Amino acid sequence: MRVSYNWLRDYIEPGLSPDELAERFTLSGIEVGAVQKFGCSLPGVVVGQVLSVEPHPGRSNLTLVASDVGTTVLNIVCGAKNMKAGDKVAVALPGAELPAIGVIRETKIYGAMSSGMLCSAKELGLDLGSAEHILILDDTAVLGAPVEQSLELDDQILHLELTPNRADCLGMLGVAYEVAALTGGKVTMPPLFPPETTENIHGAIRICVQDNDLCPRYTARIVRDVTIKQSPLWMQIKLLKAGIRPINNVVDITNYVMWEFGQPLHAFDLDLLNKDEIIVRRARKDERLVTLDGVERVLDSDVLVIADSLAPIGLAGVMGGENTEISSKTRHVLIEAAGFDPINIRRTARRYNLPSEASQRFEKGVNPEAVLASQNRAALLMAELVGGKVLQGVIDHHTSPTKPPLIMVRPERVNKILGTEIPAETITAILEKLSFVVQPGGTGSLEVTVPLRRADVMMEEDIVEEIARLYGYDKIPVKLPRGELLANRPSLEDRLYGSIREILVSCGYFECITYSFINPGSLARLRLPDDDHRMKTISVQNPFTEEQAIMRTTLLPGLLKVLQHNYSYRELNQMFFEIGAVYEPESLPLEKPPLEKMKLAFATTGLVPEPNWLVPSRNADYFTMKGALEVLLGRLQIKSAAFIPAAIPFAHPTRCAYVKINGEELGFLGQLHPEVAEIWGINQTVTIGEVDLSILARHTDLVPTVTSLPRYPAASRDIAVVVARDILASQLECTIREAGGSIVNQVILFDQYEGKQVPDGKRSLAFSIKYRCEEGTLTEMEINDAQKNIEKVLFELGAVLRT
Amino acid sequence: MLDRLEELESEARQTIDTVNSMDVLKEVKIRYLGKKGALTTLLRALGDVAPAERPNVGRIANALREKLELAIQRKEESLRDVQNAGLWEKERIDVTLPGQPVSLGQKHPLTLILEEIKEIFVGLGFQVVHGPDVETEYYNFEALNIPAEHPARDMQDSFYITPQLLLRTHTSPVQIRTMEKMAPQLPVRIIAPGKVYRRDDDATHSPMFHQVEGLAIDTDISFADLKGTLLMFAREMFGPNQQIRLRPSYFPFTEPSAEVDISCMMCSGDGCRVCSDTGWLEILGSGMVHPRVLANSGYDPSEVTGFAFGMGVERIAMLKYGIGDLRLFFSNDLRFLKQFR
Repeated sequence: MRVSYNWLRDYIEPGLSPDELAERFTLSGIEVGAVQKFGCSLPGVVVGQVLSVEPHPGRSNLTLVASDVGTTVLNIVCGAKNMKAGDKVAVALPGAELPAIGVIRETKIYGAMSSGMLCSAKELGLDLGSAEHILILDDTAVLGAPVEQSLELDDQILHLELTPNRADCLGMLGVAYEVAALTGGKVTMPPLFPPETTENIHGAIRICVQDNDLCPRYTARIVRDVTIKQSPLWMQIKLLKAGIRPINNVVDITNYVMWEFGQPLHAFDLDLLNKDEIIVRRARKDERLVTLDGVERVLDSDVLVIADSLAPIGLAGVMGGENTEISSKTRHVLIEAAGFDPINIRRTARRYNLPSEASQRFEKGVNPEAVLASQNRAALLMAELVGGKVLQGVIDHHTSPTKPPLIMVRPERVNKILGTEIPAETITAILEKLSFVVQPGGTGSLEVTVPLRRADVMMEEDIVEEIARLYGYDKIPVKLPRGELLANRPSLEDRLYGSIREILVSCGYFECITYSFINPGSLARLRLPDDDHRMKTISVQNPFTEEQAIMRTTLLPGLLKVLQHNYSYRELNQMFFEIGAVYEPESLPLEKPPLEKMKLAFATTGLVPEPNWLVPSRNADYFTMKGALEVLLGRLQIKSAAFIPAAIPFAHPTRCAYVKINGEELGFLGQLHPEVAEIWGINQTVTIGEVDLSILARHTDLVPTVTSLPRYPAASRDIAVVVARDILASQLECTIREAGGSIVNQVILFDQYEGKQVPDGKRSLAFSIKYRCEEGTLTEMEINDAQKNIEKVLFELGAVLRT
Repeated sequence: MLDRLEELESEARQTIDTVNSMDVLKEVKIRYLGKKGALTTLLRALGDVAPAERPNVGRIANALREKLELAIQRKEESLRDVQNAGLWEKERIDVTLPGQPVSLGQKHPLTLILEEIKEIFVGLGFQVVHGPDVETEYYNFEALNIPAEHPARDMQDSFYITPQLLLRTHTSPVQIRTMEKMAPQLPVRIIAPGKVYRRDDDATHSPMFHQVEGLAIDTDISFADLKGTLLMFAREMFGPNQQIRLRPSYFPFTEPSAEVDISCMMCSGDGCRVCSDTGWLEILGSGMVHPRVLANSGYDPSEVTGFAFGMGVERIAMLKYGIGDLRLFFSNDLRFLKQFR
């Protein structure tokens, strides 16, 4: 809402500068986004009066104008011809500086001396009328006065950023009441009652409201014999300050009064109504109406229309119809001021994408008390400014008049909610400044009658807010809650996620956070088959872009996008993880909210560690990531993780594993298929992994188990075997443990070799076995027996000892 | 006797100092400390000392022996270093070379801020709870006193999944979920961090961002308690001199409502570009829980009161770290993330 400071002073004297007023507004709940000067400075531009207009002796397209500027008469050469003797005009005196033109000087134009310039609206910085025409000022302008003052251009516009509850401030009078509440001032209403003719309105029009639920109130007045022309300049400038384009005197008056009262009005050309009848009804299916913006709208029964006996003439509360538009030919006008159902207006405005000043006000609810007042005010202005004759009477169709609500307010409750000790008298004084009527109620309470314009104040708590904001939030004391203590240690999940982050960060991984929605194409790029559970996705109905089209079922697309982004900036060495939810529907189409499963995903590419002079770097691969995962699992006391070769559509066919804990699938880990990596624009090895955090949590123990220290020394033996390549290291380790028996304390693989001296299809693996017994020092014989047994079982697997 | 011991010490020390070969040092050691050495010889005359003084002289003599042995050992070490000088030179390193790289990542800056926020409120006795990202219209709007067609729904443009399900536009639904679960238990003191979604995408808006919701319900929670809690938060987060300013505002689920500003940390409140010359920066919305919201979730508004607040995590991170562009958080650009390491 744009509020002109000068215009506001028509109704109340704030006694504060525009900036001070803005500050007070902001601190009492009406945020002022900006205070902006209206118009530009026009030093040296004064009101003049045209004495004569003569043709220029040398040039037929120019005129010579003699203009009285109060102190002297100036001869001015002018390019326009729309002024005549007696017109008041804006004269830029020699030396004046105009923003668009620069300094005006005395100069000879085709032989004629020109001492100044007559100004068009544009040259004065006003977006009015034609650029070729000289702006004709109102007759009331004082000769010789600076134009800036005469036109009230030295004004400030306060831009109110209203919250949806404060629809009352969508009119200047509502703003004036707010000023009164802040300053204690008095609001002066503008004159309301038009002179009426003897012809009664009831003989001129019949109004029939068929849908009272959507139109609880409809008022009409008729003004005859209007002359359509431009509004007086003062009104046009006021409308400009409100951000409204002046159109003609009748339409301008409806807009002007809307800006005053917050009540939208509409004017119909009475002669264009069929059979002098107005019917407020739901539209019929496929009825059509061309609205004022020239667009044909197809209607149905969800839309409330204003119609004559034949057809719709307006979308109720949203926009009028072209068929009854006020034009230069209009002679008789019907003024509509009505109350419409906010929800219906909102739906219609949305459906036709027509958010108008009118619909915005109806949606938020207009002041029922202003309907008739604004109707009368508009009629008065039409009588005064358009020369119209207002017919006697108002048609006022009013089904369910609302009464101002009566709210019981208990001062002790006010103070309890606010934590204050505001005396009842102060409370009463604050409410009275708001023009709320306060009567004593029982047992110290107050009975408060709230004017209808404040439809947002409905209950005691609303009054509490009014008291608090006018008392001043800054005066409310500062305390801390007291009360019972609660156990508030973060949950196991939260602590688990915290630990995971700490561990992975210390393993060199960066955490990233990506959007929960993904592009459906990214799942296709992962080569997922249709029946994969990750393809059962939830669609966002109204995404901005394809990137937000579905909710993710895996964190991988987000991570790969991060890799791709950084890779494109030549950050070649990357280690990332993300902890976040994936969204799995229990059934499709979705009947209830999806499962939100927490996942942990990793992605790495490039060299690790970063190339340096000291230790060699290697390409991060499966084993790099497995190392971090092993550290993580170890720290979470998970000792039984198994890595089982896996075939996953987007993974390297032979470099990928499922991670299982006690047979339960935790997730997977593997190299991204090189062709898939290439689709993401990365031409180096990418390793990825994703695990389910709820499963991880089930197997997690954040408390390490501690055993007593061994009392007897351990003995180590190494064993190196050549085995077929398809025998897994884990299988050999398991075999060694089983064959060695309980005295095998630790088995560590310390070498893998393929190449010379090892036949094709085979590899050599070397283990270091640590033997230990809790009951005593192991003898050489005991160890040899175990070692022999291990060798024997390994031989059965086809292993050959390597010496 | 004591004089002679002193004399011996200074003579021996001078001799040790001037020695410059291992062989000579060995001779010197024998000369002074050997079985027939000067000290031993001297001590033979201990019998001449008065019996009362003998223990003292003996102690001093022994101490002298230890001191000289140590001096000889030091001399030996320094002679060896001189002997091995060539070897040491061969082993010289450039101490300015970089150290062995230790790979270290970092948590996302939003995680860092979230952890800080949680730490502050857990310290104040709040519990941390969570709610789902995909919400029903009831929890996201209706239970929060935002009925269908309410103009307040325009304040937040939503992503819909089905006509009844949407991506939550704020963390406030967690207020309802928590109260439903806890009612009629008191007190309720929770914060609920999480992702929220709005149909906005430009330099200052992201379609997904993070909020932390706060809620405290008890028999006598007041607006003054809200002020105190938020002041405490602002000071813990931004420094002990922070001021806060509450401005009346409107949220359908609180009454009275307040926008909360903190004094601008860039200019200490004097006014600068960051705070648009106001000296204040808006950081969160808050208010007293609306009676209808309490009633919707199982509490009797005539018996209990409460406050609630919701803050944007990105906003706080931007202010705390001096980040100008919201989109940096979700680009996950390493050049950005590495600055937090």
